[in-house]
Amino acid sequence: MAAVTHTNEPGANRAPWLTLKYREMLEAWLFISPTFIGFLVFFLGPLVAIFYYSMTEWNLLSQQAAFVGLHNFNDALLVNPDFWHVVRNSVIFAVGLVPFNMALALTLALALSRPFFGVVFFRTVFFAPVVTSAIAWAIVWKFLLQGEGGVINQMLALVGIDGPNWLRDPNWAMAAVIVTRVIKMVGLNMILYIAALQAIPRDYEEAARLEGASRWQIFRMIIWPLLAPTTLIIMVLTTIGSFKVFDHIYQMTGGGPENGTLVLAFYIYQQGFKFFNVGYASALAIIMFVIVMALTLVQVMLRRKEME
Amino acid sequence: MNVVKTRVAVSAMVFCLMSAPTLAEDLRVTVWTGNDAHLKMLNGIAESFKENHPDVIVKFETVPVSDYTQKLTFQVAGGNPPDIAWMMEDAAPAFENAGLLMDIGPTVKAAQGYDFDDFSQPAMALWQKGETVYGIPFSTSPFMIYYNKDMFDKAGLEDPLALAAKGEWTLDKFQETAKKLAEANPGKWGFEFKDGEGYASRMTHALLPSIRAYGGDIWTNGQCGFDKPEAIAAVKQLHDMVFKDKSIVPPGEQGDYFSGNSAMTDNQISRASKMPEAGFNWGIAPLPTGPGGESPVIGQAGLVVFEQGKHKELAAQFVAHMTDKENVATMAQFFPPARKSVLDSEAFINGNKLVPAEQMKNVSSAITKGRVHPAHEKAPQILAAMAPRVDALWKPDANVEDALKGVCAAIQPLL
Repeated sequence: MAAVTHTNEPGANRAPWLTLKYREMLEAWLFISPTFIGFLVFFLGPLVAIFYYSMTEWNLLSQQAAFVGLHNFNDALLVNPDFWHVVRNSVIFAVGLVPFNMALALTLALALSRPFFGVVFFRTVFFAPVVTSAIAWAIVWKFLLQGEGGVINQMLALVGIDGPNWLRDPNWAMAAVIVTRVIKMVGLNMILYIAALQAIPRDYEEAARLEGASRWQIFRMIIWPLLAPTTLIIMVLTTIGSFKVFDHIYQMTGGGPENGTLVLAFYIYQQGFKFFNVGYASALAIIMFVIVMALTLVQVMLRRKEME
Repeated sequence: MNVVKTRVAVSAMVFCLMSAPTLAEDLRVTVWTGNDAHLKMLNGIAESFKENHPDVIVKFETVPVSDYTQKLTFQVAGGNPPDIAWMMEDAAPAFENAGLLMDIGPTVKAAQGYDFDDFSQPAMALWQKGETVYGIPFSTSPFMIYYNKDMFDKAGLEDPLALAAKGEWTLDKFQETAKKLAEANPGKWGFEFKDGEGYASRMTHALLPSIRAYGGDIWTNGQCGFDKPEAIAAVKQLHDMVFKDKSIVPPGEQGDYFSGNSAMTDNQISRASKMPEAGFNWGIAPLPTGPGGESPVIGQAGLVVFEQGKHKELAAQFVAHMTDKENVATMAQFFPPARKSVLDSEAFINGNKLVPAEQMKNVSSAITKGRVHPAHEKAPQILAAMAPRVDALWKPDANVEDALKGVCAAIQPLL
């Protein structure tokens, strides 16, 4: 009788090795497998492959690849003068964009973190460009920034300023690209700052005010230190984003004028996708990875020191 | 039990039928055009191929022109090339040298009634090495001046076609006319370089017609020609038109001819398909002549078959079909032929639905006399090396001669 009861138990016919522990593990793997396989095939695989490609001279058209060791790295770092010009442009872009973006994001967040009539409208206005297509955004700005027919210059002309041909003037093209990029992306950082500001207990501010602290003192001594973790995250993400900028450059200047906006990500695209030098482009991508990683680590260390 | 057996048997049969190789074969042809009129015509040719190959389905895939060569390369590198590709002249040498293209000579020459010798020799130059045929030119399209007749009438000017008929359509007249057109149409321009890309992807196309009309070239036999006196004189004139006369759409401005914002542009006959939607009266005329006389420029595209393709022989047969006399005559309304018999025919001159016979005669003449835009296997690198030097050229205070010498210094090692 007892034996009959036993055979009717659920799972009585399963393989002996399929214990509850293994079954749970198997189920877990099955659940994560769609994402995990995608991660392996589309992320980890190419990431590993790029290290191998960087050590080959591989022309996509002729489909011939030869192992050349560190030749591509040597070429980029020590031989090719274009590389350092491109790195310089990327640094100028980042140095121009990151502080500008963060300062504007914080200013907007301070203005829009408290509830007032119409606050949602203003937040939406500043956030809308973030979700706008980057290419559409760049095309519109290309029209606005035309030399003579552009709206910006027509507005400047009303106040007697003769505006330059923004995207064709080597002195102005980089600035124009940075400003349009900041306007596009500032909304994201603004939202992060607003969230952080709203998480600061109002009691701190009220206590400081009762003690006679000025608005600037409250910001400097209370709000700013409490925003430090958010500032660090924003700084790291914006720096990484600025080194990866591609779509704006592709659409607005194509790296010109006179290679003045030829930044690292666009240069990698040019080498890999225009000249089909996949090996060299892979080496450049690894160098970019190292640069961004180093900058991120430096930022993290500096902020930690400051916070201590 | 019998029911179960029957179900299993039926399921197995259905599965076998589904998984059996289909008898029909697909041929993939990549093209840059997405224009409805072009595709309708091409699909008509694919349908007629079925008369002798009823099981073959030919599919035309549109790849936008700006990324065309790049996407084609990635299809090849990914092991999934099309069977046939429409290849532009600047990309052809690189694909040819990489050994990617099939010798289609034996197949096309053996096709019934093909008459291979009917193709003009200059037109075949890019596609043939000795007896090996890498492609068949299927569009040998000269650059023509498109003009907005309404803007000419508003300015009270004779149009380029009338001036050409009198032998007065010279570069100086072109400069004078463009200036008057810009003055008579405030906020608009006298001339726009091809597709509005004269300062970017079409930087050589912008300069070549004038340089050739002055008797020079951008490069020949591995020698840069931008720094030669003819080229310098030609580019100086264009530079004056951009910055002194303000008659050519300058860098950084939008002045689309097809939207009525420029009175003239230079482009190929395939763009005539855009004109019915333009909303103004228009015409086409030859390129202006210069001190070097007439020197038409031709842009060319050919049909090639990939060595890696799954249906190479069949693909070559379709190329033979697509470029036989009848189909070349059909396509001639948009893609001017390289076949002498079609070029000389009354049907080519009189049969174009969009361009009148008087203007088609100029197209025919330009094909006969014209020379193809120089090609090079390192064309992308050459363009990238040129770009910053050409940017320096297109500034109001640029020293044209120095800038052009800079262009040569940058590209000579690549040539």
